[in-house]
Amino acid sequence: MKRSKVIAVTAVAATIALVMAGCSSAPESEGTADEPVTITFWGAYGNGGNSAQADVLNDTLIPSFEEANPGITVEYVDVPYDDLLKKLTTSAAGDELPDLVRADLGWVPKFADLGVLVPLSDEMDNFQELADATFPGVLSTNLYDGKYYGLPLDTNTRVLITSQEALDAQGLDAPPATFDEFVAAADALTDSGVQVFADGGLGAWNISPWIWSGGGAVTDDKVTTSTGYLDNDKSVAAVQMLVDLYKDGQISNGIIGNAGATSTSEGLPGGNYANILDGPWMNGIWSEQFPDFTPIYAPMPAGDGGSVSVVGGEDIVLTSTSEHKKAAMKFIEFTQSEEFQMALVPTGQLTVIKALGDKQVELLPYLALFTDQLATARARVAIPQGSEVDTILNQALVPAFEGSVTVKDALTGAAAEIDAILAGN
Amino acid sequence: MSVLSTGESLSAGVAEVLSVTPAPPKKRRRRSKGRAVLAATPYLFLAPGFILFAVTVLYPTVQAFQMSFFDWKIVGSAASEFLGLDNYAKAFADDHFWLALSNSGVYMVLTVAPQIIIGLAIALLIQKKSPTQPLFRVLFYLPVVTSWVVVSFLFKFLFSDDGLINFALGDLLQITNGDTAWLADRWTALIAICALGVWKGIGWSMMIFLAALQGVPQTLVEAATMDGTNRWQRFKVVTVPAIWPALLFVTVMLVIGGFNVFVSVYLITGGGPAGRTDVLLTYMYEQAFNNLDFGYGSAIAVILTVLVFALSVVQMRVFRDRNGGGAL
Repeated sequence: MKRSKVIAVTAVAATIALVMAGCSSAPESEGTADEPVTITFWGAYGNGGNSAQADVLNDTLIPSFEEANPGITVEYVDVPYDDLLKKLTTSAAGDELPDLVRADLGWVPKFADLGVLVPLSDEMDNFQELADATFPGVLSTNLYDGKYYGLPLDTNTRVLITSQEALDAQGLDAPPATFDEFVAAADALTDSGVQVFADGGLGAWNISPWIWSGGGAVTDDKVTTSTGYLDNDKSVAAVQMLVDLYKDGQISNGIIGNAGATSTSEGLPGGNYANILDGPWMNGIWSEQFPDFTPIYAPMPAGDGGSVSVVGGEDIVLTSTSEHKKAAMKFIEFTQSEEFQMALVPTGQLTVIKALGDKQVELLPYLALFTDQLATARARVAIPQGSEVDTILNQALVPAFEGSVTVKDALTGAAAEIDAILAGN
Repeated sequence: MSVLSTGESLSAGVAEVLSVTPAPPKKRRRRSKGRAVLAATPYLFLAPGFILFAVTVLYPTVQAFQMSFFDWKIVGSAASEFLGLDNYAKAFADDHFWLALSNSGVYMVLTVAPQIIIGLAIALLIQKKSPTQPLFRVLFYLPVVTSWVVVSFLFKFLFSDDGLINFALGDLLQITNGDTAWLADRWTALIAICALGVWKGIGWSMMIFLAALQGVPQTLVEAATMDGTNRWQRFKVVTVPAIWPALLFVTVMLVIGGFNVFVSVYLITGGGPAGRTDVLLTYMYEQAFNNLDFGYGSAIAVILTVLVFALSVVQMRVFRDRNGGGAL
């Protein structure tokens, strides 16, 4: 049964179809002084009541773009991050999407799969040139079914963050640089009341850095199969290391989803935890809430696979219902400029442009480590069902941490479930 | 959010059923224009409410039912694939669905009885007119009007590893060693969630019972006292039959509410650890809004609707039979 038959039974859907037909017949304007256009842009820059980013966008960047492109007005709508996916979902249902969206990395394949995004690699003349300038890990999050549906807008990654207090307790000068040193640090902390590590879950964002750094993988490079990768010896060994530490009481039970555990952001400055993995935004949070705390940033501990972390951030995407695609693409191009990228660095956004890495470190020295880590950082499984993969990993690994199944069995089971999802794509 | 509203539609439906009173004996009416207008008047007054109900409750319910047969693409212009009963088959074969269903059942069982028993007990204790009665009413009713979001965070804090409950049990009473990770285990987390449900619901059932207790015929109480009955006997043979309709109403509403638990679970544990405290609605929410699998989410919502409806019918039967068909 096709959708058309369903429309026939729902008057409301029919109305939507009529409205859409009206939209698509409108002539497309590029946006000139004679024919002004307005493009709408949704994002969560002002999230958490921190208006610094939204202010830079509204007061500096958008006026600058409008000045350079007379006839194009950009209307930025700030949506709280937690509501953005829901708002996008409901808007997609009503075909009332904005022209541009600052989308979380994980949402791009999801919305591309729904058919609401324009493949920029087909539509933008200079796409390849722009894409080549960005970090490969974050660019790869835009790839879906052989096409790129967006360009990276800002990025981040997780690095090891340590407190001086914890280092002192172990008599160490530097945070653990390798898996072996990490385990040794745990031994040194036995009976000190400080746990060596804490994290808030076992999804891909949490567990991938350990698996990759240990030389394992979640799937093959082409994301076609998980069996043989997630359950190979190296992946198992990396997870086993964490499980052993957990059983010794060296890792907080927040990792298995205990909502009552002290959070990583409070536990590190509070002296509960020696190390956490987190992103560049923590600096701003701690400087407000724990002004006496000086975080020490270090690379993800290296295993057989080197020091590999996970990429986070946002992409900019163009919706297929946009009436002003050309004007919107001009704005996308603007977001890749040095002016746009560098203006947001002081507000806690890492640039996605490789060539600007050094400049941002000059601006904020503590970003050096994040910039280095990004060079090898990798994206999570970029498929529409990314959140289902997180659920699978969580549900398979929690029993392994609790000791009711072996790590090998847990990962073999998870790989089979992920394979089933991948086979459906 | 259409799927979420199925529960509300049900409770509205149940309220309607409950408010049905025996039809007055039909009178012969002479046909006249004035009479016809008069007969239509109630419907005119009902219309705005019914239209609102149809648009916000009935339509979404029907839509959710329809969506449950498709691999529903949320985009208006996209083609949704018809799956027939596949989403239902998937649910019945899905271990996590059964886990979520059993958690909803556990929540219902663990919250309904305490709310009735404690609510009734408090109502009995404070029903006598006294200067302190309004104060107690307000105090016990306070949790009912407090936001679910606020009290969920409050309970999350109370039951956290460094929370007040651990402090009380460990440092103060020394019953445990104070390091129970309440929210890290399915059963202890459910206890925390149920405790919130009971705490927040007692005031509501208390108010209904207080109102019902006003209607207990004093003459019967006095007659029973003259017959030499004790308090418990009077409660059993006079009070309980008199408040039977209220008992039925409270039970049905609490059972429906129990199966529709969502906010507290979502905010306290988020279904964790590893989905073990998921209830039907958090699982449905995750399928629909995180995985964008609206078809499967709708199927779960429909199953919940049917289940709750069936349970309500069964309860009304049981109560009516026990009361010799008098109450309703």
